[in-house]
Amino acid sequence: MTGELTRRDILKAHAAGIAAATAGIALPAAAQPVPGGVTALEIKWSKAPCRFCGTGCGVMVGVKEGQVVATHGDMQAEVNRGLNCIKGYFLSKIMYGADRLKTPLLRKRNGAYAKDGEFEPVSWDEAFDVMAEQAKRVLKEKGPTAVGMFGSGQWTIFEGYAATKLMRAGFRSNNLDPNARHCMASAAYAFMRTFGMDEPMGVYDDFEHADAFVLWGSNMAEMHPILWTRVADRRLGQPHVRVAVLSTFTHRSMDLADIPIIFTPGTDLAILNYIANHIIQTGRVNQDFVQRHTRFVRGVTEIGYGLRPEHPLEKAAPNAADPTKMEPIDFEAFKAFVSDYTLAKTAELTGVDPGFLEQLAELYADPDRKVMSLWTMGFNQHVRGVWANQMVYNIHLLTGKISEPGNSPFSLTGQPSACGTAREVGTFAHRLPADMTVTNPKHRERAEEIWRIPKGIIPDKPGYHAVLQDRMLKDGKLNFYWVQVNNNIQAAPNTSNETWQGYRNPDNFIVVSDAYPTITAMSADLILPAAMWVEKEGAYGNAERRTQVWRQLVQAPGEARSDLWQIAEFSKRFTTDEVWPADILESNPEYRGKTLFDVIFRNGEVDRFPLSEIDPAYDNHEAKDFGFYIQKGLFEEYATFGRGHGHDLAPFNMYHEVRGLRWPVVDGKETLWRYREGFDPFVKPGEGVNFYGQPDGKAVIIAVPYEPPAESPDEEYDIWLVTGRVLEHWHSGSMTLRVPELFRAFPGAVCFMNADDARKRGINQGAEVRIVSRRGEMRARIDTRGRNRMPPGVIFVPWFDASKLINKVTLDATDPISKQTDFKKCAVKIIPVAV
Amino acid sequence: MPNASGNYHVSSAVIVAVPAMEDKVLATLSQMSNVEVYGHQGGKIVVVIEGTSTGMLGECLSQISTLEGVVAANMVFEHVEKEETIGNDRRTDAA
Repeated sequence: MTGELTRRDILKAHAAGIAAATAGIALPAAAQPVPGGVTALEIKWSKAPCRFCGTGCGVMVGVKEGQVVATHGDMQAEVNRGLNCIKGYFLSKIMYGADRLKTPLLRKRNGAYAKDGEFEPVSWDEAFDVMAEQAKRVLKEKGPTAVGMFGSGQWTIFEGYAATKLMRAGFRSNNLDPNARHCMASAAYAFMRTFGMDEPMGVYDDFEHADAFVLWGSNMAEMHPILWTRVADRRLGQPHVRVAVLSTFTHRSMDLADIPIIFTPGTDLAILNYIANHIIQTGRVNQDFVQRHTRFVRGVTEIGYGLRPEHPLEKAAPNAADPTKMEPIDFEAFKAFVSDYTLAKTAELTGVDPGFLEQLAELYADPDRKVMSLWTMGFNQHVRGVWANQMVYNIHLLTGKISEPGNSPFSLTGQPSACGTAREVGTFAHRLPADMTVTNPKHRERAEEIWRIPKGIIPDKPGYHAVLQDRMLKDGKLNFYWVQVNNNIQAAPNTSNETWQGYRNPDNFIVVSDAYPTITAMSADLILPAAMWVEKEGAYGNAERRTQVWRQLVQAPGEARSDLWQIAEFSKRFTTDEVWPADILESNPEYRGKTLFDVIFRNGEVDRFPLSEIDPAYDNHEAKDFGFYIQKGLFEEYATFGRGHGHDLAPFNMYHEVRGLRWPVVDGKETLWRYREGFDPFVKPGEGVNFYGQPDGKAVIIAVPYEPPAESPDEEYDIWLVTGRVLEHWHSGSMTLRVPELFRAFPGAVCFMNADDARKRGINQGAEVRIVSRRGEMRARIDTRGRNRMPPGVIFVPWFDASKLINKVTLDATDPISKQTDFKKCAVKIIPVAV
Repeated sequence: MPNASGNYHVSSAVIVAVPAMEDKVLATLSQMSNVEVYGHQGGKIVVVIEGTSTGMLGECLSQISTLEGVVAANMVFEHVEKEETIGNDRRTDAA
């Protein structure tokens, strides 16, 4: 060392200083940052929410010479306070994979579209010409029910909203569903059934108020690392805090667990009823709360498993046809119902140590302990996922531990806008914006009014949900299909028997919009290159109701265009006369001869804001192309649905200024705890608590039993298969696998297995095996020593690896209420591959 | 050694360790060549990671986050420079 500070030293000290400030610790004097050390960077920094999970971290994005060169955690973002998890850290790289799609690709033979042709680059014009021709053919032959779209919780709010308008108001089809169906449909249905309104009552601030955290089948340490850091800070900083982790195998979140619980797959339902029973038996029901703010119901049982109707399990289920039925009961009936779930019986069924069960129940029962329950796919991807969600509300409601700081049943989400787009905008087959449904005539009328379209345009029957779309594609009933921002050939269950066959069905025309040639894109007939993340202006809504907006910061490569541009541009190719019924046009002649672009986007509302309203420091490709500030117009029109009744969003421009706001936003003020007087402006003085989503203001406590999974191990298929994710890769890996170092860190899917199970089968660590189910098989290498430690009889295989498709093996059983697939429970056998 | 892009990366991260394991984690970190510990307190460790690509840094962070005793490891700040700038520029105006 020369004694002088080099530029490198200064940079390092600066970086350390920021980290120390973020962590709230003091650095030794020698390591203090040098003021003004890093000034001449020539990097333009702008805010954006992270592209990956539902946490909704704020990142600062550094752009130099038209490229994203750096990102760092946004110190001003309340969610992550400057931190950035490993996937978020690689954000700047996801856009620059070598195989990024830059031009539309169409399957062709002899210069014309052919289902069995090879992909050839085509112009946008040719792509849309062929696509429109196919859509018109299908509409003419079979009508709107043969047209469908599969979207995503990764769509921006504008994109999801444009898609729902194009499908429902344009093509008059409700066959629109998001991949969020695979992710949190169970959570959404449970919210509606319990509270009459979707999404959590609490917020992330609960992390700093809770005295106990209970993870129900969630591995937050790997899947939600930033939120996990907040849990760890609370646990390690406050000795009285307890953490309980429930799972079907031991994972990294268990490291922090005071109460580690490994249960037999599916038996979490019994544990939930046991806790309710324990609360009642030990006299710790919050009587006043229960009496004033809840009512009791009993749900129908034996509701089937969402399989094809001819499946023996469906034929044997008396309530498969209407699994949603509930009848009123009283507290005494509920008490009697859960009294079956004694400690002894529950311990036996679940395989859990009774001592741990009791400690867990006490966390909830103890009136002096504030509890935050957290869950994601363990509950949601569950053949009784809606029940599981409702049963955790049961125990929070029985004790009144809800809607106040630290007392918080909290449904986490996996996608950046599962809440903001998939749920709030209403991209589910049965939904309209702001929790409204297509089956309710008043809701349809309201939507038609806001959308300025004639009465009767929106169809009244729910469309095909995700798994049903795959079945209908295969059966030839859904023939024109547009997939955006998701990788469903890889993500869908039982994919080679159902999903893939539908894509290659000769009757069908499949369009996939993506940034990369995923296996879903490669299974399509037309691939449209998509702009991603900060290549467009966007908006996401995270798991705590926080709406966040970002600007376009760089240009998309080549001919890649955003999904919003694609939807709007495609809509120009249709006139109302081609897609709307003659009788409606007859009584509304002013709509004749208009394009769908005219009625959906040039409707006097969406095109209300001129280009001059765009910040001149930023580009906006879509707005410039269409001649008006389309994102703002879509947002403001969409916000009309929710304002005034609890879904209130702030004026659009405000979101560009702040680090997101949690709805309802009333008079510029966000809402932290919903349904609670003093926090929620919709609860009147003196009410205390009001679950105003329900007509009577009362939340629902439901009596439902433990029912077994659709498929359990037997003599032949003798082991449970659980699928999921790992830290390094996000979902199907289409982005993270293109970051070489993430790929190296976790290159291929392995099969985590118990060492004794392996030994019994004569399998060594690292050996290749076949994982075989009644549906199909895949190969992977055995890992008995990795980060996930399996109990006997259970294996875990992550699904990010397109070369090792575990979804060839999984079962397409769903929760019959939410139609969400159970990816966590099916039976397989393991066969060593002879060397 | 400049890589193909000629970039040089400096990043900082906050590691949360189980307090009882802090010393062990610190010992492991001290053996990682491109990692420097800048401070630690109550299980929280501030490190700076250097390398010639985002990937090198991320790989290193992945490795840290799976160490025994580590509850969480998150990046905070990253700075990217051209290798020649950082190599030749011995002093800055600020220093």
